[in-house]
Amino acid sequence: MSTPLEELLNMEPEEIWRRNERPDADGLRRKAQIYYEDVNEGDELPKYVYKPTPTHLFRWSAAIENFHRIHYDLDFGLNHDRNPSILVHGSWKQSVVPQYLKDWTLPNGWPWKARFEHRAMLVPGDILIMWGRVTSKYEKEQIGFVELEIGMKTQDGIESMPGTATVALPLRDGPPIPYPFVPPAAD
Amino acid sequence: MTQQQQQTHPPALTPAVQAMIGVSGEVVESWGVVDGEYMRRFTQALMDPDPRYWDDEFAKSTRYGELIAPPIMVSYLASRIRPDQGDPITAAFEENPESDGIGSVARPGELPPVPTNLVRVLNAGNELEVYAYPSIGDTIFFQNRYSDIRERLGRDGTPFLIITRETRYWNQDDVTLCITRASTIRR
Repeated sequence: MSTPLEELLNMEPEEIWRRNERPDADGLRRKAQIYYEDVNEGDELPKYVYKPTPTHLFRWSAAIENFHRIHYDLDFGLNHDRNPSILVHGSWKQSVVPQYLKDWTLPNGWPWKARFEHRAMLVPGDILIMWGRVTSKYEKEQIGFVELEIGMKTQDGIESMPGTATVALPLRDGPPIPYPFVPPAAD
Repeated sequence: MTQQQQQTHPPALTPAVQAMIGVSGEVVESWGVVDGEYMRRFTQALMDPDPRYWDDEFAKSTRYGELIAPPIMVSYLASRIRPDQGDPITAAFEENPESDGIGSVARPGELPPVPTNLVRVLNAGNELEVYAYPSIGDTIFFQNRYSDIRERLGRDGTPFLIITRETRYWNQDDVTLCITRASTIRR
């Protein structure tokens, strides 16, 4: 049972960090399928908690070859762009989204689509909470579709990435979800 | 909106701007292929330890039957600067030592600019659709296009544009891997 988001936001940062539910490799290896029938409106997804440091930011810049100085050059960030510090990449946040949806739908569901906005500047020292909540679900062409509200909040409750997502989950007695994924007609 | 405001501010969505909707860039074949080392760096920087990315034996037991790669990874792989086309990063800093390292760097497959004098750019949101996982060895192709341009009015009645750039990524078998859309506000 995932700690409710509102409850998490009332905790001290270190306590939030201790409630981190990011799975390790074995957790992902053993992940049990969530079926469409298991899901109810209002259900909360696991909370992925991050504590980005300058090293994390530099590692991401290097991995994707993003040379923008606002992410690693503190002097440039403070004095040229007048930012409060070096900034957490929007590209990292938007890469967490499909990872988060993949993990929740593993092993045989599908993290179909998401849309989100980038708000707020995130800096090293922030505690970041990737969260999701079921808003509705429907069945179509023998696939279970689940609509989610998603986001990434700071420890202060500031929403930095409000968004929505749609994932596909298998029905308990349904066929496999097609792969490559084929959206239902009219979607 | 008063008649006076309408007369004060000329429309932002001019026929020339509207004509950009649907305009596509060239099809670009990314430099190199999806490779395990690039994926290691990407997934470690993302902090996604999923064994589907690195454990061959386990990957064979999944429905995909092989190692997979994060779909959004191809969007960064695709922006690799081809070594046979000069070094735009060094060139940008030679031209301007205060370069931000990204704004003036030419990328393959870029779209022609939208003919507007609205120069301030703000992020208005992102969309991601996922259809298949890339495989090790895949060659990645992509193409940008302006999928939508809309005019909106600010609180003061000043028109601004929301420009959406869509990018489709596919592999050598013409399997669509993912589609991204990035919307920007131009004020």
